[in-house]
Amino acid sequence: MLKAYFGDMAEAVYNTVVFFKNDFDPRWLEDPFVREMILDVDRSTVLSSGAIDSPVMGIIPPTSLSGGVKTLILIMKEPDRVFNASNCGDNCAKWLLRMGQDRDVTINLRHIMDFGDGDFEIEVLNDKKIAHNMDELLYLAGRYV
Amino acid sequence: MRGKYHIHVSNRALSFDFTLSRNITIICGDSATGKTTLVDMIREYELQGTDSAVQISCEKPCVVVEGNSWKRQLRELESESIVFIDEGNRFVSSQEFAEAAQNSGNYYVIVTRENLYNLPYSVTEIYGIKSSGKYNSLRPVYHELYRVYGEKVDDSCNIYNTVITEDSHSGFQFFKDVCSDTVTCVPADGNSNILAMIRKAAAENTTPCLIIADGSAFGAFMAQIHMFMEHRTDVHLYLPESFEWLILTSGLIDGNRVRDILETPEKYIESSQYFSWEQFFTATLIDETKDSYLRYQKSSLNPAYLRKREKEAILAVIPKAIRENL
Repeated sequence: MLKAYFGDMAEAVYNTVVFFKNDFDPRWLEDPFVREMILDVDRSTVLSSGAIDSPVMGIIPPTSLSGGVKTLILIMKEPDRVFNASNCGDNCAKWLLRMGQDRDVTINLRHIMDFGDGDFEIEVLNDKKIAHNMDELLYLAGRYV
Repeated sequence: MRGKYHIHVSNRALSFDFTLSRNITIICGDSATGKTTLVDMIREYELQGTDSAVQISCEKPCVVVEGNSWKRQLRELESESIVFIDEGNRFVSSQEFAEAAQNSGNYYVIVTRENLYNLPYSVTEIYGIKSSGKYNSLRPVYHELYRVYGEKVDDSCNIYNTVITEDSHSGFQFFKDVCSDTVTCVPADGNSNILAMIRKAAAENTTPCLIIADGSAFGAFMAQIHMFMEHRTDVHLYLPESFEWLILTSGLIDGNRVRDILETPEKYIESSQYFSWEQFFTATLIDETKDSYLRYQKSSLNPAYLRKREKEAILAVIPKAIRENL
């Protein structure tokens, strides 16, 4: 399940872009799920572990991916850490929910991300309650951000 | 610092064009729209000048402030700079940063999705980035800013049941007086209570409900309220710059100075003196009315504003779809 702690979380990695730059493992880009996220969020195609074809910037290195997709990759590939998912736009929300379908995924949010109109399950870790839709999430988590 | 500034940032592949007219601008929105790229280009130009192959056109210096040494970086800036701060900088939500920004005389462009409650930014200065064009075409991919929260007035409402104002000061006293007997006008005692009050109104079936707040300092509260309203037709927002702006705009205060100010407020509002436009309009109204029967004070409404002529003049500024439902 996707679990989110809302508000300030001292142990969370806040600047995910810098963390990604120094922690990036080229093998991460071999993962089809990661490639799918990059294609969807950044509309970019992974050519190799060091080159990505971006429709806006041409051929770019992994460090030039968007902050949102870098954060998604870190959340997926570094499960023992908690990352600041407020570096992700709403267009990353469905990927967080998909990651949470397979295993427990814990993130830190400093804003209310829009997870869409459908039903979902997100545990608000601040008071260990589960939100099943955006209205419930706003009610449970709004006070913390 | 005061005034409106057009900024053009470009390299061979990318181009950004936008205009700033207030001291605090927020850029948010989806991932991969170019927010960080914009800040990166400004940083490269700042470090390398024209050797960066980045072009920047702006009357004021554009700089990037970031990391743990942000206080020193701010201290060392030329006065009247335009400061860009990318996401990933924890300090932007701190009270210490708010105080430094308030006294600095710079303009700030902050990339963040967090609600920065310590900063009084306007709902109209929250932007996303949209782009057109494609890499490898002859023209650079062009990026411009769009307002995340439009100025749409919903005219689909019947008479409101509840009107919520942000506090119990003059604005509340005015709207309480003008609301018809069937409308309950209540103060929220602070913007942070507004969402809870809307929920209460919805739960108690006392909607349709109208929220009236100072748009010029409501930015931090907008995201959650907008999200709550998204799927509801019974909650409405009216966000003039401020109640004092309504009075100044009503024509009750004569004079060319007020007219000139309202036409181009950014020319008059010194950011190091007024952290938000709301503060400036309050100071201006107090100053303009100090020797007249309309003498204004924020805490308690001068009854002169509730006379028929004065009341009607202020109401005339409010969009018809709203004032007819009060």
